[in-house]
Amino acid sequence: MDQLIKDKIKQVKKGDQLAFEYVVVFYQDKIYQHCYRMLGNAHEAEDVAQEAFIRAYINIHSFDDRRKFSTWLYRITTNLTIDRIRKRKPDYYLDAEIKGTEGLDMYSQLTSNDRSPGEEVESRELQRYIHNEIAKLPPKYRSIIILRYLEEFSLQEISDTLDTPLGTVKTRIHRGREALRKRLRHV
Amino acid sequence: MNYHDEAIGYMHRYLDGDLKQVEEKFLRRHLEQCETCQKHFHELNRTITLLQGAEHIQAPVNFTGPVMQKLPVEKKSLKYLR
Repeated sequence: MDQLIKDKIKQVKKGDQLAFEYVVVFYQDKIYQHCYRMLGNAHEAEDVAQEAFIRAYINIHSFDDRRKFSTWLYRITTNLTIDRIRKRKPDYYLDAEIKGTEGLDMYSQLTSNDRSPGEEVESRELQRYIHNEIAKLPPKYRSIIILRYLEEFSLQEISDTLDTPLGTVKTRIHRGREALRKRLRHV
Repeated sequence: MNYHDEAIGYMHRYLDGDLKQVEEKFLRRHLEQCETCQKHFHELNRTITLLQGAEHIQAPVNFTGPVMQKLPVEKKSLKYLR
């Protein structure tokens, strides 16, 4: 699969947009999901995820073919989500209701597997609570916790993706785990 | 720094796969004796399990279309070749 993506990127560098469409389709769920988890909001997640792909396309010539494309794409995406969080007004709440959809906040838009209604409600409540707690972490910690535990990156991959020294990644992951431990221990 | 703090440092390095064998022995021995640290370690592991259980989210159905529409115009020579 890596080789196929490499070939597609070569074609994109030659100006082939159809090859880029393949790349977008291949990564869209992962990138959208990362944005959603960072931002906690479907509308912003879509906006930022699309922006990430457009930036990747425009800057494709600065991508070094010897490196992993996904690492580069995640870096662009994470930087965009952190920029977006910084620009937010302080009164912006994660679980704010989406306009015109009373009682329907972003968590109700999560996809779910088949479960009995009771289990589903309980699980949704729990998911909502966990996401809320992750969202309370400062963005620098949040991105690392999400990449490590929700998206299963290795510590080295996180260091490469965020262009952050491995030691710093570890310090932040320790603090992130401690913060979440305190908030989730009563669950 | 007391024994607890040291043990907590070890727990995090254990979770990152960075603990040497001797250190792991120290941690195990300490956990057997110290209920506070046992609880702490259990809570850390449980936190990770909760995080890992997060649901997967899919991109909206029409995600690719708008991305492709917003890209700068393709080189004409390539369009012609196809």
